[in-house]
Amino acid sequence: MELTDCYRRRPGLPWREEPDAVRDEMAALEAGRDAGGEGTLLVVERGRITELNILGGEIWKLCDGSRSLGAIVDELLPRFDVGRDELARDVQEFLADLLARGWVVAA
Amino acid sequence: MSAPGKIYSAPLLVNWSLNYSCNFSCEHCYSRFEKAEELPTERVLEAGRRLAKAGVLFANFGGGEPLLRKDLLPVSKELTALGLSLSMNSNGWLLDEAAATGLRDAGFVSVGLSLDSHRPEVHDRFRNRPGSFDRVVAAAGHLVRAGVKLTISTVVCRINHQDLKPLLTLAKRLGAAQVYLHNFKCSGKGMEHRFELDLEPLEWRDFYREALGYADNPEWPEISFDDPILASLGARDEEHGIPGSTCGKLSLHVRPNGDITPCGFIPLVLGNLLRDDLPTLWRESSVLESMRHKTAKGKCTACGHYASCLGGCTARAFAVSGDLNAPDPHCWENPCG
Repeated sequence: MELTDCYRRRPGLPWREEPDAVRDEMAALEAGRDAGGEGTLLVVERGRITELNILGGEIWKLCDGSRSLGAIVDELLPRFDVGRDELARDVQEFLADLLARGWVVAA
Repeated sequence: MSAPGKIYSAPLLVNWSLNYSCNFSCEHCYSRFEKAEELPTERVLEAGRRLAKAGVLFANFGGGEPLLRKDLLPVSKELTALGLSLSMNSNGWLLDEAAATGLRDAGFVSVGLSLDSHRPEVHDRFRNRPGSFDRVVAAAGHLVRAGVKLTISTVVCRINHQDLKPLLTLAKRLGAAQVYLHNFKCSGKGMEHRFELDLEPLEWRDFYREALGYADNPEWPEISFDDPILASLGARDEEHGIPGSTCGKLSLHVRPNGDITPCGFIPLVLGNLLRDDLPTLWRESSVLESMRHKTAKGKCTACGHYASCLGGCTARAFAVSGDLNAPDPHCWENPCG
């Protein structure tokens, strides 16, 4: 998976954010505390609920087919206390997992 | 007091009875005696907007027979456009080729047909409608040819509990992707016919043991049976991680007039979708609070399965005892406890 690749969420796959969880996790991030332990976004497929953490949820929302992986990394970099290479690896690994699940498709 | 499992910010699923009117009069019908004014089209759409705004992802139309609503297709099209993932249940009588393509074009993700026996005469008698078996089989064909995902809904009871394999065989032949095995509920006409139709606890155990043998087997349509008492067979659905009934934890029911109840089988009104704020009701309803924090009673107090089963189906317990915390009457564990 390359940083120039571009993906979008599979149309029709139900998902939603959990607003309270997003608020708590964002507050933790802003305060420099650990975040990522709570599910902030739910994806439901065949009755199975999968919770994405704050980073996964933010990547998910940006997968609308208009951005490359590199552009997603650029957009998230100021919001997470992590180096670019590490974030790029996280984004690539996460997208590879979503692709294997069939939750994103090449745009 | 039990832990509820995770409670999200809003229900994921709403079972929505758009109408209680029906062209059938089935022996087990939970809603036959229910009376509620049907909302006009614009109010249904407003209700749908409120569901979507609250974050509800799935709406499943039941009733009543949804196809009796003349505005079903245009309403569904608009609700789909709001982002709701729609499904519905029908007896199939009115589901001809045009209806099937209309449902497809309105965006239905799946359509469920009620089929209670592989034997035409048994299905027709149970549904009190001669010819209903042939019509539902024809409806299945229309849906499959239209490219709509077909599911079959069977109310498991005295007339069919020993006929699971031929029923699944028929469902497979019809092209069903999924078979919902609904456990019999003592509500409405179901309560009236409870002693003729309901199974004894050990019969439920034997039925579920057999049914589990067909689960997760690609040879058969996918089988769904959301019944908390399966916990004692070690087979509770794992995907949602919610112990006990999912009603009031992942789902709610909406009546034709917009009244909200925990499920279609518990007649406790929490509020009204068009009058009240859904997320507030979801968060603050004392009825939902009681269902999410049940207290073991009777034989449940000594049962090792309670943590995952939470007394079984709250609706069944409430229907026969008036107590949300009473043990599920279908439960086969500790019969003398």
